[in-house]
Amino acid sequence: MGIDQQPGYVLHLRAYRETSLLLECLTRDHGRLGVVARGVRSARGQALRAQLEPFQPLLLDLLARGELATLRSAEPAGLPLRLSGNAGLAGLYLNELVVRLTGRQDPHPALFEAYAQTLPRLAAAESPGWQLRRFERDLLAAIGYALQLEFDADGGEPLDPQAHYRYQAELGACRCGPGEAAAVRGADLLALGQDRVPGDARGLQSLRRMMREVIRFHLGGAELRSWQVLAAAMTRP
Amino acid sequence: MSKLLGELIEALRCLPGVGAKSAQRMAFHLLERERERGLKLAGALDQAMRQIGNCTRCRNFSETPVCTLCASTTRDRHTLCVVETPTELAAIEQATGYRGQYFVLLGRLSPLDGLGPQELGLGLLAERLGEGEIEELILATNPTVEGEATAHYLAQLARAAGIRPTRLSHGVPLGGELEFVDRGTLAHAFGSRQALE
Ligand SMILES: [Zn+2]
Repeated sequence: MGIDQQPGYVLHLRAYRETSLLLECLTRDHGRLGVVARGVRSARGQALRAQLEPFQPLLLDLLARGELATLRSAEPAGLPLRLSGNAGLAGLYLNELVVRLTGRQDPHPALFEAYAQTLPRLAAAESPGWQLRRFERDLLAAIGYALQLEFDADGGEPLDPQAHYRYQAELGACRCGPGEAAAVRGADLLALGQDRVPGDARGLQSLRRMMREVIRFHLGGAELRSWQVLAAAMTRP
Repeated sequence: MSKLLGELIEALRCLPGVGAKSAQRMAFHLLERERERGLKLAGALDQAMRQIGNCTRCRNFSETPVCTLCASTTRDRHTLCVVETPTELAAIEQATGYRGQYFVLLGRLSPLDGLGPQELGLGLLAERLGEGEIEELILATNPTVEGEATAHYLAQLARAAGIRPTRLSHGVPLGGELEFVDRGTLAHAFGSRQALE
């Protein structure tokens, strides 16, 4: 099957055979695809190789047959985006998240949309934390694990901004004492649901902790590699 | 075909660029005309595969705990150049007059490949940065997204140790024409333009 001018991003690439690359791509209409790019590791393929880096919006021409697609051509769909410093590390986290939480050939247009919006936000943001929480929220919603950020899990009551909750992936927000390690303020859950930045750093921190727990649950208890890297990189000044 | 011959041909195919056909040609060539040098090759291969490990200071290939480069008394001990692979170390040695020391990551930060700070030996690197001799950390990781992220991470390590991080500049290749340079490279080169002296 020929796929033409498909909007997509390279999430990851590795050497494949002698002169080729195996790309993991996120496409708008076909979801995540394994794509072989032939001959791009030779001197002649250098110009195309340079395009095939993560974070660049691309238009892909593919030949899809069986498990892997073959790249026929790739052209930039817009100006090259540069994610430098912590934004680059955050971008690698985004990519790991997408690869680990979605299957191949399983389209999620809303996820593609969220991904495409997040990259320029990361490039512009002073610190990536909030942008990552927004993306995690949208990714989970796109793949069918939407968070419940309006009502509590105990009795379906609207979340109380003053109360504290523990968010459990399979249930939702359950009331708990403010002293509990996993406690999140109702106000912070509501902020995330309404796409507003939490009022303070503590709010962002507790949302990060909560998201990790939820993602870990959906990964069957596994950890993401990027957590280690991000934690070490971002605790430094 | 003899069993041993078949095994040799199969074994030769692990070499880069060697398919079934050239593996067969190599095997016949060795058996027909180069028995002695074939034995020499086998011996060298056996020794190298068994005895070459990684230097305990720079992680480059070495058959001694500390490699000759690290042990050398004539190399500058104030600059440390970080590369992703031994191949890239060799390329810098051959192309530049660099006289400092190296550190080989044997990879780059790549969460999806399972490569994090531990796999890259960054504990060892931090130890070396903490020894107090190094003044400049040259970040010669590749100009890829992962190479850049790695350089950023290492620059933070260096700054925390009071060491000046520097990065290889990248841009338009020598002898290249702008028209034929890809957009990413051109944008990068444009963004990191320098004042003319
Ligand atoms: Zn060494």
